[in-house]
Amino acid sequence: MNLSGILVVADRDWQTAVITALEALPGVSVHQVDRSTGRLIAVQEADDINAEIEGLRRIKAAPHVIMAEMVYHYLAEDNTEYPALPPELAAQDGSCAVPAYLMD
Amino acid sequence: MGLTRRDFLKNSIAASAALTVGMPVAREAEAAVKASEAGWQWDKGVCRFCGTGCGIMVATQGGRIVATKGDPDAPVNRGLNCIKGYFNGKINYGKDRLTQPLLRMTNGKFDKKGKFVPVTWEKAIDIMEEKMRWALKEKGPTGISIFGSGQYTIHEGYAAAKLMKAGFRSNNIDPNARHCMASAVVAFMQTFGIDEPQGNYDDIEHTDTAVLWGSNMAEMHPILWSRITNRRLTHKGMKVVNLTTFGNMSSDIADLEIVFSPSGDLAIQNFIAREIVKRDAIDHDFVNKHTVFATGPYDIGYGFRPKNVEKFASGAEMETYKNEKVHVIDKFEAIAQRKQAGEAVEQKNAATPMKDWAISFDDFKAAVEPYTLEFTAAVAKGDPDEPMDKFKAKLQQLADFYCDKNRKIVSYWTMGFNQHQRGSWVNEQAYMNHLLTGRQCQPGNGAFSLTGQPSACGTAREVGVFAHRLPADMVVMNPKHRAHTEEIWKLPAGTINPKMGSHFVKIMRDLEDGSCLFNLTQVNNPWQNSANTNHWIKAARNMNNFIVVADAYPGVSAKVADLILPAAMINEKWGAYGNAERRTQVWRQQILPPGQARGDTWMLLELSKRFKLKDVWGAQKIPGLEGGLPDVLPAAKAMGYSPESTLYDVLFATPENKKVKWPDPIAHGHGNHIADLLKDGWFPEKALFEEYRKFGSGHGHDLAPFDVYHGDKVRGLKWPVVQKDGKWVETPWRSNEQYDPYVQKGMGFDFYGNNGQKMMAGNLDKPSGPDKKVDISHKAKIYFRPYASPVEKPDANYDLWLCTGRVLEHWHSGTMTRRVPELHRAFPNAVCWINTKDAESRGLKRNDLVWVESRRGKVQVRIETGGRNRVPRGLVYVPWFDESVLINKVTLDATCPLSKETDYKKCAVKVYKA
Repeated sequence: MNLSGILVVADRDWQTAVITALEALPGVSVHQVDRSTGRLIAVQEADDINAEIEGLRRIKAAPHVIMAEMVYHYLAEDNTEYPALPPELAAQDGSCAVPAYLMD
Repeated sequence: MGLTRRDFLKNSIAASAALTVGMPVAREAEAAVKASEAGWQWDKGVCRFCGTGCGIMVATQGGRIVATKGDPDAPVNRGLNCIKGYFNGKINYGKDRLTQPLLRMTNGKFDKKGKFVPVTWEKAIDIMEEKMRWALKEKGPTGISIFGSGQYTIHEGYAAAKLMKAGFRSNNIDPNARHCMASAVVAFMQTFGIDEPQGNYDDIEHTDTAVLWGSNMAEMHPILWSRITNRRLTHKGMKVVNLTTFGNMSSDIADLEIVFSPSGDLAIQNFIAREIVKRDAIDHDFVNKHTVFATGPYDIGYGFRPKNVEKFASGAEMETYKNEKVHVIDKFEAIAQRKQAGEAVEQKNAATPMKDWAISFDDFKAAVEPYTLEFTAAVAKGDPDEPMDKFKAKLQQLADFYCDKNRKIVSYWTMGFNQHQRGSWVNEQAYMNHLLTGRQCQPGNGAFSLTGQPSACGTAREVGVFAHRLPADMVVMNPKHRAHTEEIWKLPAGTINPKMGSHFVKIMRDLEDGSCLFNLTQVNNPWQNSANTNHWIKAARNMNNFIVVADAYPGVSAKVADLILPAAMINEKWGAYGNAERRTQVWRQQILPPGQARGDTWMLLELSKRFKLKDVWGAQKIPGLEGGLPDVLPAAKAMGYSPESTLYDVLFATPENKKVKWPDPIAHGHGNHIADLLKDGWFPEKALFEEYRKFGSGHGHDLAPFDVYHGDKVRGLKWPVVQKDGKWVETPWRSNEQYDPYVQKGMGFDFYGNNGQKMMAGNLDKPSGPDKKVDISHKAKIYFRPYASPVEKPDANYDLWLCTGRVLEHWHSGTMTRRVPELHRAFPNAVCWINTKDAESRGLKRNDLVWVESRRGKVQVRIETGGRNRVPRGLVYVPWFDESVLINKVTLDATCPLSKETDYKKCAVKVYKA
């Protein structure tokens, strides 16, 4: 399970519309809302961490959102060892050979 | 209907995030947070990445990091994290983490052409000892070197510098901070006589104007950018200016974007100075009381290999390198430097670029006179498709901001200024305009050099992990500084080598020409981060030398090494960093390093056990130092040392240091794998910090005791930190009487770093001689520095500028951030940003694979014509984090001749379809 707490700052005049837009995003729920400053806290649940990052991008791209940054990252139940080495690294002999492209 | 566990977690994460950024939450929600975090141990930490120095709270349970969050009490980031900071808890868990020493071997024996084979730590240290002894025997102390880092903890940098300078008597230790901050340092030292900014990040909330010069803050310092964004949105009249060689994310909220040509910044600064003079926007009282005008030679070369370069360079490379001896003045330089176009100027001061002398205000005025709007616009307009009138209007607007006496203004810069063939000059020009208008070291006013690395200031600069430096702004060339250091380190007089060592690029050149035979690299990736790296990779792999690389992941440098040492990462050891606003911050070990990975301090201490005084403190030959280094063994005996004592006993586990015991209650139950491995009962990080602190106390670099920084409520302190009424008090703005205890009472402002210093007087062309000297005590220097064209410019063959840099998602060479899948996928591979028209004229379209080729090398990369960067016609931009697009094979190893910092921002390339 990938959960993150995200601070979203929105134009105060549009905060209600922003909340509606965020709630419509998959896995996103809006929790704390501070009407006086335009700030709110969204929590995002995503299937994998790739989706989590994409989710943050969607939040940032929502209309009237001035800023969205992560605040809290819950790692406790994420025991996956992600095999996400860049392919050019994974393809190397072992992990430590001098790749040909360094020698030309 | 009860809450599911997932709902409960979400509620508590929301509440915790709200609390972190200071939003009110209900009492029940606070209780939910406590319940969900039961059994976790939260502790304060510091972000591993850029020089901003954000505070991060780290939660551990069962020996593993379970959560991280922005530290609400950290004044730097106030609970926020950028995308890199958010993943501090994950960088430790990449699949290819190095967990055991690896040595190139064939049939059980070291073989430079062999494959990496796991070995024990004992075997690893054995071979290091053997190869160091060989290098010392062959070449003396200059035969060995260390590439250190602005990511070293303070303890690590201190241990490395002490081992090299006091133990091996070698000054060949230089950090990757040479590549990032050295130009800033030269400007601080030349202008103020003391390193590092006088202001702090709170300037943002006090200012009316933020001017970015070659600093894409939105991507590189996002948390500071969020503070600037907030100021821009909430303070009426706040203006943001982005001066850059291409449009970038920082332009998005800028009121004024000025796209200038490479090195055009030198002309723009002088244009502003000219306007300040013309409009009489000078603060005469400030200038008369607190400054002196100065200049220096222009014929200083470009930092290329000074001798025998033709032995190592290709014919194509020589086309650029020949400028090191003689440079032909172009039409702009002719006006800017009062010379004739086509004049061949011998670079007579290439070896003495630091010379300077005082000039009169009338000289200064005459010097800036050629920098008219007309001339500056012709030199500096960076976008060929922008109308000239529009560009001129922008320059006028910029000058208006600097000339408006009622406007507070901060100038920020990073690598655009520092990585510059005239980087020290352009840094000094920033101070020029702030000092002329009396707007320096006051809340909201000042020129502020931002750092790139988390401890470029705290470790590399303050500890002095450079070829010329000692702690607290002292240098090895100064006999008084050496004597003071020898006293604190309890060394015989004459132990420290008075000859400056090799800087970062020179260590590479030393490995290439065989004058250095052994290198230890820690906490950085020199074979990826050094320009023109084809030369250095060949030198490492083909020459008879021995390269040791300590790293957490196998980057380019690890792969070209002979021995790889698995290093512990940030939360796996105790540490301290110093950020760009002089804030020293600390953390405890949170988790154990995996496998056999060990802290860098431990590696250095273990190595020090292998050498005895008799091995290193006898007479030593040093190339270029007449008489060499003296035999200090008799004096050492008189001090009570035995020739059989090890460097470990004499330098580190000293009787005084061993009084600092481990375990210590300040640990609050946290472990210390280094103290545990040493097994001799001392607390190395604390002991070394307390010893190091002696250097700064009493002369403007004061630090508080170790335990004060570890106090629960302390979130770092900005030095000088002095004791007042029993409390340790930080200094928010230096050189300003209102805030700085070192300012002489009644002076208002005091640039005390230059106290006791004198400089020769002269005119714009030369000093008048040593008999006429000006006392510069309490004063800062306002330098005139001229425009100088880049040494390599686009021509018919190599017809584009290449600029390199970073992207938001990745840290430096990507060895850590590329292991975080989120970051890797967010920005998987480097691309080459190119203007649509340049792409079209070459028959290219977005995502095409191209070659980017210079006189030095070429790489394949896909092109990008859209996205976050908007490059003007004539310029391409390639980030350097991606080792499969090793752009430093293409870049030029020109450096600022004063700072020896490489210019990664401008060289000539061609782009064609692969």
